[in-house]
Amino acid sequence: MATGRAAQVVTRQVRPILSVSHNEARSRALALYKAWYRQIPHIVNEIDIPKSTKQCREKLREEFAKHKDVKDVRVIDMLIIKGQMELKETVQKWKQVGHVMNYWKETVNKKPTDFLSKFLEGKD
Amino acid sequence: MASNILRKLSGSLIGVGLSGSRVSQTFNIAPTVLSRRLSSEAQTEAETRPTIRKHDEVARAHVTDFGRYVAECLPKFVQKVQLTGTDELEVLVAPEGIVPVLSFLKDHHNAQFTNLADIAGVDVPSRKYRFEVVYNLLSLRYNTRIRVKTYTDELTPIDSVNDVHKAANWYEREIWDMFGVFFADHPDLRRILTDYGFEGHPFRKDFPLSGYVEVRYDDAKKRVVVEPLELAQEFRRFELNSPWEQFPNFRDTSVIEEAAPAPEKK
Repeated sequence: MATGRAAQVVTRQVRPILSVSHNEARSRALALYKAWYRQIPHIVNEIDIPKSTKQCREKLREEFAKHKDVKDVRVIDMLIIKGQMELKETVQKWKQVGHVMNYWKETVNKKPTDFLSKFLEGKD
Repeated sequence: MASNILRKLSGSLIGVGLSGSRVSQTFNIAPTVLSRRLSSEAQTEAETRPTIRKHDEVARAHVTDFGRYVAECLPKFVQKVQLTGTDELEVLVAPEGIVPVLSFLKDHHNAQFTNLADIAGVDVPSRKYRFEVVYNLLSLRYNTRIRVKTYTDELTPIDSVNDVHKAANWYEREIWDMFGVFFADHPDLRRILTDYGFEGHPFRKDFPLSGYVEVRYDDAKKRVVVEPLELAQEFRRFELNSPWEQFPNFRDTSVIEEAAPAPEKK
Protein backbone atom coordinates (compact mmCIF):
# COMPACT_ATOMS: atom_id res chain seq x y z
CA MET A 1 0.00 0.00 0.00
CA ALA A 2 2.62 2.44 1.14
CA THR A 3 5.02 1.46 -1.62
CA GLY A 4 2.25 1.70 -4.18
CA ARG A 5 1.46 5.21 -3.04
CA ALA A 6 5.15 6.12 -3.09
CA ALA A 7 5.44 4.82 -6.64
CA GLN A 8 2.41 6.85 -7.61
CA VAL A 9 4.01 9.96 -6.22
CA VAL A 10 7.20 9.29 -8.11
CA THR A 11 5.48 8.70 -11.42
CA ARG A 12 3.13 11.68 -11.23
CA GLN A 13 3.36 13.69 -14.42
CA VAL A 14 3.97 17.36 -13.77
CA ARG A 15 4.85 20.26 -15.94
CA PRO A 16 8.46 21.32 -15.35
CA ILE A 17 9.25 24.93 -14.51
CA LEU A 18 12.78 25.13 -15.91
CA SER A 19 14.63 21.87 -15.39
CA VAL A 20 13.53 18.42 -16.43
CA SER A 21 16.05 16.50 -14.37
CA HIS A 22 17.77 16.79 -11.04
CA ASN A 23 21.15 17.22 -12.74
CA GLU A 24 19.87 20.14 -14.74
CA ALA A 25 18.50 21.80 -11.62
CA ARG A 26 21.83 21.21 -9.91
CA SER A 27 23.77 22.85 -12.70
CA ARG A 28 21.37 25.79 -12.65
CA ALA A 29 21.89 26.20 -8.91
CA LEU A 30 25.65 26.09 -9.38
CA ALA A 31 25.43 28.64 -12.17
CA LEU A 32 23.43 30.96 -9.95
CA TYR A 33 25.96 30.51 -7.15
CA LYS A 34 28.80 31.36 -9.51
CA ALA A 35 26.98 34.39 -10.84
CA TRP A 36 26.48 35.72 -7.32
CA TYR A 37 30.08 34.85 -6.41
CA ARG A 38 31.45 36.79 -9.36
CA GLN A 39 29.16 39.76 -8.82
CA ILE A 40 29.95 40.17 -5.12
CA PRO A 41 33.17 42.24 -5.61
CA HIS A 42 31.24 44.62 -7.88
CA ILE A 43 28.34 44.78 -5.43
CA VAL A 44 30.70 45.62 -2.57
CA ASN A 45 32.32 48.22 -4.78
CA GLU A 46 29.09 49.79 -5.98
CA ILE A 47 26.89 49.75 -2.88
CA ASP A 48 28.09 51.43 0.28
CA ILE A 49 27.85 48.54 2.74
CA PRO A 50 30.20 47.96 5.69
CA LYS A 51 31.03 44.45 4.56
CA SER A 52 34.00 42.94 2.79
CA THR A 53 33.93 40.61 -0.19
CA LYS A 54 34.84 37.71 2.05
CA GLN A 55 31.97 38.35 4.46
CA CYS A 56 29.55 38.62 1.56
CA ARG A 57 30.72 35.34 0.13
CA GLU A 58 30.28 33.66 3.51
CA LYS A 59 26.75 35.03 3.61
CA LEU A 60 26.15 33.78 0.08
CA ARG A 61 27.23 30.30 1.04
CA GLU A 62 25.03 30.43 4.10
CA GLU A 63 21.99 31.47 2.07
CA PHE A 64 22.50 28.61 -0.36
CA ALA A 65 23.15 26.13 2.43
CA LYS A 66 19.75 27.00 3.95
CA HIS A 67 18.12 25.07 1.12
CA LYS A 68 20.60 22.21 0.86
CA ASP A 69 17.97 19.61 1.73
CA VAL A 70 15.51 20.59 -0.99
CA LYS A 71 15.10 17.64 -3.31
CA ASP A 72 12.07 18.51 -5.46
CA VAL A 73 13.25 19.73 -8.85
CA ARG A 74 10.44 22.22 -9.20
CA VAL A 75 11.04 23.67 -5.74
CA ILE A 76 14.71 24.08 -6.63
CA ASP A 77 13.68 25.81 -9.85
CA MET A 78 11.41 28.18 -7.97
CA LEU A 79 14.23 29.03 -5.54
CA ILE A 80 16.59 29.60 -8.47
CA ILE A 81 14.11 31.95 -10.13
CA LYS A 82 13.78 33.94 -6.92
CA GLY A 83 17.55 33.95 -6.38
CA GLN A 84 18.04 35.21 -9.91
CA MET A 85 15.48 37.93 -9.26
CA GLU A 86 17.34 39.02 -6.11
CA LEU A 87 20.65 39.05 -7.96
CA LYS A 88 19.25 41.30 -10.64
CA GLU A 89 17.72 43.63 -8.06
CA THR A 90 21.08 43.88 -6.31
CA VAL A 91 23.22 44.33 -9.39
CA GLN A 92 20.90 46.93 -10.94
CA LYS A 93 21.01 48.81 -7.62
CA TRP A 94 17.25 48.70 -7.25
CA LYS A 95 18.02 47.52 -3.75
CA GLN A 96 19.26 50.17 -1.37
CA VAL A 97 21.80 49.73 1.40
CA GLY A 98 19.14 48.63 3.88
CA HIS A 99 17.80 45.97 1.56
CA VAL A 100 21.23 44.49 1.02
CA MET A 101 22.18 44.70 4.69
CA ASN A 102 19.00 42.85 5.64
CA TYR A 103 20.69 39.60 4.66
CA TRP A 104 22.73 39.88 7.87
CA LYS A 105 19.84 40.62 10.26
CA GLU A 106 22.16 42.44 12.64
CA THR A 107 19.48 44.03 14.79
CA VAL A 108 17.56 40.84 15.43
CA ASN A 109 18.05 39.66 19.00
CA LYS A 110 18.59 35.96 19.41
CA LYS A 111 15.89 34.19 21.39
CA PRO A 112 17.07 33.06 24.84
CA THR A 113 17.65 29.33 25.04
CA ASP A 114 18.99 28.50 28.49
CA PHE A 115 17.25 29.02 31.80
CA LEU A 116 19.25 31.96 33.11
CA SER A 117 18.99 34.09 29.98
CA LYS A 118 15.26 33.36 29.77
CA PHE A 119 14.95 34.47 33.39
CA LEU A 120 16.88 37.65 32.73
CA GLU A 121 14.76 38.30 29.66
CA GLY A 122 11.66 38.11 31.84
CA LYS A 123 10.09 35.28 29.90
CA ASP A 124 9.40 31.77 31.01
CA MET B 1 -34.26 29.71 -34.77
CA ALA B 2 -33.49 26.24 -33.55
CA SER B 3 -33.33 27.38 -29.99
CA ASN B 4 -36.77 28.91 -30.33
CA ILE B 5 -38.20 25.61 -31.41
CA LEU B 6 -36.37 23.94 -28.61
CA ARG B 7 -37.78 26.40 -26.15
CA LYS B 8 -41.33 25.76 -27.24
CA LEU B 9 -40.73 22.05 -27.16
CA SER B 10 -39.19 21.90 -23.73
CA GLY B 11 -41.65 24.41 -22.38
CA SER B 12 -44.53 22.23 -23.49
CA LEU B 13 -42.81 19.16 -22.10
CA ILE B 14 -42.33 20.51 -18.63
CA GLY B 15 -45.46 22.54 -18.82
CA VAL B 16 -44.88 24.86 -15.91
CA GLY B 17 -44.73 28.59 -15.98
CA LEU B 18 -40.99 28.87 -16.39
CA SER B 19 -39.70 31.24 -18.98
CA GLY B 20 -38.44 29.58 -22.11
CA SER B 21 -34.76 30.39 -22.23
CA ARG B 22 -34.09 29.08 -18.77
CA VAL B 23 -35.71 25.80 -19.60
CA SER B 24 -33.57 25.43 -22.67
CA GLN B 25 -30.49 25.97 -20.55
CA THR B 26 -31.33 23.19 -18.21
CA PHE B 27 -32.05 20.76 -20.99
CA ASN B 28 -30.05 17.57 -21.18
CA ILE B 29 -28.25 17.75 -17.86
CA ALA B 30 -27.92 15.33 -15.00
CA PRO B 31 -31.12 15.15 -12.94
CA THR B 32 -29.57 16.31 -9.66
CA VAL B 33 -28.19 19.42 -11.26
CA LEU B 34 -31.48 19.95 -13.02
CA SER B 35 -33.51 19.73 -9.86
CA ARG B 36 -31.18 22.04 -8.01
CA ARG B 37 -31.33 24.53 -10.79
CA LEU B 38 -35.08 24.30 -11.10
CA SER B 39 -35.44 24.89 -7.40
CA SER B 40 -33.27 27.97 -7.67
CA GLU B 41 -35.37 29.13 -10.58
CA ALA B 42 -38.55 28.57 -8.69
CA GLN B 43 -37.06 30.94 -6.17
CA THR B 44 -36.18 33.61 -8.73
CA GLU B 45 -39.15 33.01 -10.96
CA ALA B 46 -41.73 35.21 -9.32
CA GLU B 47 -39.42 38.17 -8.93
CA THR B 48 -41.68 41.13 -8.42
CA ARG B 49 -39.75 43.00 -5.77
CA PRO B 50 -38.73 46.31 -7.27
CA THR B 51 -35.33 46.55 -5.58
CA ILE B 52 -34.02 43.26 -6.89
CA ARG B 53 -32.33 43.10 -10.23
CA LYS B 54 -34.41 41.36 -12.86
CA HIS B 55 -32.90 39.06 -15.43
CA ASP B 56 -32.77 40.39 -18.94
CA GLU B 57 -33.96 37.32 -20.77
CA VAL B 58 -32.75 38.43 -24.18
CA ALA B 59 -29.23 39.18 -23.01
CA ARG B 60 -29.26 35.98 -21.05
CA ALA B 61 -30.18 33.94 -24.09
CA HIS B 62 -27.43 35.61 -26.11
CA VAL B 63 -24.85 34.92 -23.46
CA THR B 64 -25.96 31.33 -23.08
CA ASP B 65 -25.78 30.72 -26.80
CA PHE B 66 -22.35 32.28 -26.99
CA GLY B 67 -21.14 30.16 -24.09
CA ARG B 68 -22.35 27.05 -25.85
CA TYR B 69 -20.66 28.12 -29.02
CA VAL B 70 -17.34 28.61 -27.24
CA ALA B 71 -17.67 25.20 -25.60
CA GLU B 72 -18.37 23.59 -28.97
CA CYS B 73 -15.50 25.35 -30.72
CA LEU B 74 -12.91 24.49 -28.08
CA PRO B 75 -13.98 21.14 -26.66
CA LYS B 76 -10.40 20.22 -25.80
CA PHE B 77 -9.86 23.08 -23.38
CA VAL B 78 -13.23 24.29 -22.13
CA GLN B 79 -14.27 22.23 -19.13
CA LYS B 80 -17.39 24.08 -18.12
CA VAL B 81 -19.39 27.13 -19.08
CA GLN B 82 -21.53 28.76 -16.45
CA LEU B 83 -23.69 31.77 -15.79
CA THR B 84 -23.47 33.62 -12.52
CA GLY B 85 -26.51 34.89 -10.69
CA THR B 86 -26.10 38.24 -12.39
CA ASP B 87 -25.97 36.76 -15.90
CA GLU B 88 -22.23 36.95 -16.40
CA LEU B 89 -20.66 34.30 -18.58
CA GLU B 90 -17.81 32.29 -17.11
CA VAL B 91 -15.69 29.89 -19.12
CA LEU B 92 -13.68 27.40 -17.09
CA VAL B 93 -10.70 26.13 -19.05
CA ALA B 94 -7.81 23.75 -18.51
CA PRO B 95 -4.53 25.54 -17.70
CA GLU B 96 -2.76 24.34 -20.86
CA GLY B 97 -5.51 25.88 -22.97
CA ILE B 98 -5.48 29.42 -21.67
CA VAL B 99 -3.54 30.88 -24.60
CA PRO B 100 -5.67 29.19 -27.32
CA VAL B 101 -8.89 30.16 -25.56
CA LEU B 102 -7.89 33.79 -25.09
CA SER B 103 -6.64 34.10 -28.65
CA PHE B 104 -9.87 32.52 -29.91
CA LEU B 105 -11.91 35.00 -27.90
CA LYS B 106 -9.77 37.85 -29.15
CA ASP B 107 -9.60 36.97 -32.81
CA HIS B 108 -12.99 35.42 -33.48
CA HIS B 109 -15.18 37.79 -35.46
CA ASN B 110 -18.23 37.21 -33.30
CA ALA B 111 -16.35 37.61 -30.03
CA GLN B 112 -13.66 40.29 -30.38
CA PHE B 113 -12.72 40.30 -26.71
CA THR B 114 -9.73 42.47 -27.47
CA ASN B 115 -9.53 44.16 -24.10
CA LEU B 116 -8.05 42.40 -21.08
CA ALA B 117 -9.60 44.30 -18.19
CA ASP B 118 -7.94 42.43 -15.36
CA ILE B 119 -6.34 39.23 -14.19
CA ALA B 120 -7.27 38.14 -10.69
CA GLY B 121 -6.14 35.31 -8.48
CA VAL B 122 -8.09 33.24 -5.98
CA ASP B 123 -6.53 31.01 -3.36
CA VAL B 124 -8.50 28.06 -1.99
CA PRO B 125 -5.97 25.98 -0.03
CA SER B 126 -8.24 22.96 0.37
CA ARG B 127 -8.29 22.24 -3.36
CA LYS B 128 -5.83 20.06 -5.20
CA TYR B 129 -5.05 22.97 -7.50
CA ARG B 130 -5.31 25.74 -4.98
CA PHE B 131 -5.00 28.80 -7.18
CA GLU B 132 -7.62 30.05 -9.57
CA VAL B 133 -6.54 32.59 -12.15
CA VAL B 134 -9.38 34.70 -13.52
CA TYR B 135 -9.13 36.65 -16.76
CA ASN B 136 -11.73 39.39 -17.23
CA LEU B 137 -12.22 40.28 -20.87
CA LEU B 138 -14.18 43.04 -22.51
CA SER B 139 -15.46 43.14 -26.07
CA LEU B 140 -15.86 46.75 -27.10
CA ARG B 141 -17.43 45.73 -30.39
CA TYR B 142 -20.31 43.83 -28.78
CA ASN B 143 -20.29 45.60 -25.41
CA THR B 144 -20.02 42.38 -23.44
CA ARG B 145 -17.76 40.96 -20.85
CA ILE B 146 -16.61 37.41 -20.27
CA ARG B 147 -14.66 35.77 -17.52
CA VAL B 148 -12.19 32.99 -18.23
CA LYS B 149 -11.03 30.93 -15.28
CA THR B 150 -8.23 28.46 -14.98
CA TYR B 151 -6.41 26.78 -12.13
CA THR B 152 -2.93 25.86 -10.96
CA ASP B 153 -0.95 25.03 -7.85
CA GLU B 154 2.18 26.52 -6.28
CA LEU B 155 4.64 24.77 -8.56
CA THR B 156 2.82 24.37 -11.86
CA PRO B 157 3.56 27.14 -14.35
CA ILE B 158 0.82 28.70 -16.47
CA ASP B 159 1.52 29.96 -19.97
CA SER B 160 1.81 33.71 -20.10
CA VAL B 161 -0.82 35.39 -22.28
CA ASN B 162 1.44 38.36 -22.87
CA ASP B 163 1.68 37.45 -26.55
CA VAL B 164 -2.10 37.69 -26.89
CA HIS B 165 -2.81 40.66 -24.66
CA LYS B 166 0.01 43.08 -23.91
CA ALA B 167 -1.91 44.21 -20.85
CA ALA B 168 -1.19 40.87 -19.22
CA ASN B 169 2.41 41.85 -18.53
CA TRP B 170 1.88 43.73 -15.28
CA TYR B 171 -1.18 41.76 -14.25
CA GLU B 172 0.81 38.56 -14.40
CA ARG B 173 3.63 40.15 -12.48
CA GLU B 174 1.10 41.06 -9.84
CA ILE B 175 -0.21 37.49 -9.64
CA TRP B 176 3.36 36.21 -9.43
CA ASP B 177 4.15 38.66 -6.66
CA MET B 178 0.97 38.17 -4.63
CA PHE B 179 0.33 34.46 -5.11
CA GLY B 180 3.57 32.98 -6.37
CA VAL B 181 2.06 31.54 -9.53
CA PHE B 182 4.80 31.23 -12.12
CA PHE B 183 4.02 32.30 -15.68
CA ALA B 184 6.08 30.52 -18.29
CA ASP B 185 7.49 32.62 -21.15
CA HIS B 186 6.71 35.90 -19.47
CA PRO B 187 9.18 38.51 -20.79
CA ASP B 188 9.79 40.33 -17.52
CA LEU B 189 8.59 38.37 -14.51
CA ARG B 190 9.70 40.19 -11.37
CA ARG B 191 8.15 41.72 -8.29
CA ILE B 192 5.80 44.64 -8.74
CA LEU B 193 4.17 45.46 -5.40
CA THR B 194 6.32 44.06 -2.61
CA ASP B 195 9.58 45.54 -1.40
CA TYR B 196 12.94 44.23 -2.55
CA GLY B 197 13.98 41.33 -0.39
CA PHE B 198 10.42 40.63 0.72
CA GLU B 199 9.82 36.94 1.31
CA GLY B 200 6.55 35.16 0.77
CA HIS B 201 3.40 35.86 -1.19
CA PRO B 202 0.95 38.04 0.75
CA PHE B 203 -2.32 37.02 -0.91
CA ARG B 204 -1.94 33.36 -0.07
CA LYS B 205 -4.35 32.24 2.60
CA ASP B 206 -1.55 30.78 4.68
CA PHE B 207 0.21 34.13 4.82
CA PRO B 208 -0.70 35.74 8.16
CA LEU B 209 -2.58 39.02 8.14
CA SER B 210 0.16 40.67 10.21
CA GLY B 211 2.97 39.33 8.03
CA TYR B 212 6.16 37.78 9.30
CA VAL B 213 8.38 40.86 9.61
CA GLU B 214 8.14 44.45 10.65
CA VAL B 215 10.17 47.33 9.27
CA ARG B 216 11.48 50.28 11.26
CA TYR B 217 14.14 52.97 11.03
CA ASP B 218 17.11 52.21 13.24
CA ASP B 219 18.83 55.31 14.60
CA ALA B 220 22.08 53.59 15.42
CA LYS B 221 22.40 51.86 12.06
CA LYS B 222 21.08 54.89 10.16
CA ARG B 223 18.98 52.70 7.90
CA VAL B 224 15.72 50.82 7.73
CA VAL B 225 15.90 47.41 9.35
CA VAL B 226 13.65 44.41 9.04
CA GLU B 227 12.89 42.36 12.12
CA PRO B 228 10.66 39.40 12.91
CA LEU B 229 7.25 40.56 13.99
CA GLU B 230 6.55 40.60 17.71
CA LEU B 231 2.97 41.28 18.64
CA ALA B 232 2.50 43.11 21.92
CA GLN B 233 -0.60 41.11 22.66
CA GLU B 234 -1.99 37.75 21.74
CA PHE B 235 -3.61 37.59 18.33
CA ARG B 236 -7.34 37.93 18.71
CA ARG B 237 -9.88 36.41 16.46
CA PHE B 238 -12.60 38.88 15.72
CA GLU B 239 -15.91 37.43 14.66
CA LEU B 240 -17.23 39.98 12.23
CA ASN B 241 -20.42 38.18 11.33
CA SER B 242 -23.26 39.71 13.21
CA PRO B 243 -25.27 37.23 15.26
CA TRP B 244 -28.38 38.80 13.79
CA GLU B 245 -29.41 38.12 10.27
CA GLN B 246 -29.70 41.55 8.76
CA PHE B 247 -30.81 40.93 5.20
CA PRO B 248 -32.20 37.41 4.97
CA ASN B 249 -33.70 38.16 1.58
CA PHE B 250 -30.27 38.71 0.10
CA ARG B 251 -28.54 35.80 1.73
CA ASP B 252 -27.99 33.47 -1.21
CA THR B 253 -27.49 35.69 -4.20
CA SER B 254 -24.62 33.97 -5.94
CA VAL B 255 -26.55 31.33 -7.80
CA ILE B 256 -24.33 29.89 -10.48
CA GLU B 257 -25.92 28.20 -13.41
CA GLU B 258 -24.33 26.04 -15.99
CA ALA B 259 -24.85 26.85 -19.61
CA ALA B 260 -24.61 23.29 -20.73
CA PRO B 261 -23.29 22.21 -24.10
CA ALA B 262 -26.12 22.21 -26.59
CA PRO B 263 -28.07 18.99 -26.98
CA GLU B 264 -27.01 16.96 -29.96
CA LYS B 265 -30.52 16.12 -31.09
CA LYS B 266 -32.76 18.97 -32.02
